[in-house]
Amino acid sequence: MSTTTFNPATSVQLEQQKSMRPWRKKPTKFTMAVTLAVVIPALIVAALYLTSDIPVPILLVVIYLPLQLIASGIAAWATKGTRGVADSVIIVNAIGASLFTVIVLVSVIGSLIVRGFRALSPHFLFQNSVYISPSTPLDYGGIGHSLVGTLLIVFIASLISVPIGIATAVYITEVRGRAVPYVRFFVQAMSGVPSVVAGLFILTIVVATGVFNQSAFAGGLAYAILMLPTVARTAEEVLKLVPDDLRTGALALGSTRARTVLRVVIPAARTGIITAVILGVARVIGETAPLLLAAGNNDQTVVNPFGSPISSVPTYIFNNVALPYPDAVSRAWGAALVLIILVAILFTLARVIGRGRVGR
Amino acid sequence: MELRDLQSAATSHRGDRVFTRTVAGAAFTSLLVLAGIAIFLGLQAVPAFQTQGWAFLTTTGWDINTTPPTVGIFGMLYGSVLLAVIGLVIAIPASLLLAIFMVFLSPPRLAKVLTNLIDLMAAIPSVILGLWAFYILNPTAEEWQVLLNKYLGWIPIFENTSGNFLGTPFIAGFVLAIMMIPIITAVTREVLSRTPPDLINASEALGCSLWTMLRYVALPYGRGGIVGGVMLGLGRALGETIAVFFVLKIVFETNWDKIIESGGGSVATLIVSRFGEVSGPLELQLLLAAGFFLFVMTLIVNVIANLIVSRTGRLQK
Repeated sequence: MSTTTFNPATSVQLEQQKSMRPWRKKPTKFTMAVTLAVVIPALIVAALYLTSDIPVPILLVVIYLPLQLIASGIAAWATKGTRGVADSVIIVNAIGASLFTVIVLVSVIGSLIVRGFRALSPHFLFQNSVYISPSTPLDYGGIGHSLVGTLLIVFIASLISVPIGIATAVYITEVRGRAVPYVRFFVQAMSGVPSVVAGLFILTIVVATGVFNQSAFAGGLAYAILMLPTVARTAEEVLKLVPDDLRTGALALGSTRARTVLRVVIPAARTGIITAVILGVARVIGETAPLLLAAGNNDQTVVNPFGSPISSVPTYIFNNVALPYPDAVSRAWGAALVLIILVAILFTLARVIGRGRVGR
Repeated sequence: MELRDLQSAATSHRGDRVFTRTVAGAAFTSLLVLAGIAIFLGLQAVPAFQTQGWAFLTTTGWDINTTPPTVGIFGMLYGSVLLAVIGLVIAIPASLLLAIFMVFLSPPRLAKVLTNLIDLMAAIPSVILGLWAFYILNPTAEEWQVLLNKYLGWIPIFENTSGNFLGTPFIAGFVLAIMMIPIITAVTREVLSRTPPDLINASEALGCSLWTMLRYVALPYGRGGIVGGVMLGLGRALGETIAVFFVLKIVFETNWDKIIESGGGSVATLIVSRFGEVSGPLELQLLLAAGFFLFVMTLIVNVIANLIVSRTGRLQK
């Protein structure tokens, strides 16, 4: 977000510097040095790749990277003197690190699309897995039951964590009691609770004591623990953006504090709070470990939140990943594609809504 | 202060007191949950400690069938740390360089695209990352490790006597690195971009190159935030379960230093791997005890991380 605060400033400045010194020669030498420094190592490595059988990772790490570093170093030394050499090392490595990250991301998303697409079909979204064994072809069965389960669990988690999260934010920004620093501290500490620990906790207090089975409700409780900090922190940021004028105005008109918060502040921050909820949902929707422990697994479509174990998209993926049947693995990829699309939709929604009025 | 005065002047209704108390009560839910986790998992840890004593933390093994069962999670605790360290060794330089590229080198438009990509990367659920690592990363990483072993095998950490290069701590650590990179990058980018432009311009005017500017201005300025970001990533890595579970072959030995030899472990994966075939209430209790120590470990890391991050935040204001 705030990269823009720095970058335009310097780029504007650089442009000014250029225009302010028209007598300065155009740096053709610089352009040429950079071009040579990029082209020569690439050509050498390409030639080696075609002519020899050096393994690709070695070619890249042991030959290309040092070559590129040396070439850039020489180019920098020729144009800017010794001071430029350290810069060139940083620049080459920074570009390398960025490329590495982008390649990893493209590989993840690309493989999801390529491998998951095969499993996608209308019935994959609507059917459940009651009569499906791992070897059943892709013409039958789907993740309908898991989608229902995920929606139910997320809904329950939202019912619990959204009011508490907003109340926490209201305490921090509106009530402004003495305990604000502590509340903040605990919310932050809570955001670090590992998901598997949240699942274990619900397992001990709800399932192992026999209050409920593994069920959507227990899974929802575990998700609520993970969701609460995200909702509370985002809602806090949003409520802070509501101008104090609105609060003083409402109070001056004779409104009580409760009314000020409920009728003025929260409605003013409405879109931002929706964003907070969406971000919370997006944070938890792919969590697997808590549901393995607290919600269990089921091949049937379950709508009763209390009675029986329930399937969800992440646990569906989990159960199909390592099966020795290509079609089961395809189902896992398909479910993963659906899950990442869900997450992407949620984040896009949050962005679009968050761009609304209160954002400024 | 004006708002304060108005508020206290307005607080005369009974409804307000109810409202304030309700909100304050809700605000302490997080404390309640944290305390609940500590107490309930801690209570479960007591019997485990009674039967195992300190051996629960200092030995390695998982044999439920003996009486009393001989169980120790030292190897798993060590494994958690080892995987996190491997992840950090990859993630810290990558994230720092990536953040430097985004803030100081790339055109603003590209930086915006990269920011969105990093956000997307942070949003990938770990089960999907695990799926990807199992089918896509595994064969590639196997090739890397064979090469590492072939040419650097004389260094003890790259030893591999079994010839099995799958399910290694290296692969699991690499997956953790992919999870940590977006976290560390986001925080680092944030603090680096907050370096006052005046300081940067001044250093340029004094003839600093990019490297000297980073070395003496930007990195010292953002040091606290960067360390905090690394700690946040570390907290995530210690608690990560599913992705590691897919790629790591869990063995109950302490694999001290052989990072490209098949087999390793972590507390979080131990819980998931044993939970499916839990033999009785006793084993469940032992798993809960393991969960308790995982909770304590991540809590400490996260608290330190948040203290560091919030302190730098205050300094910069």
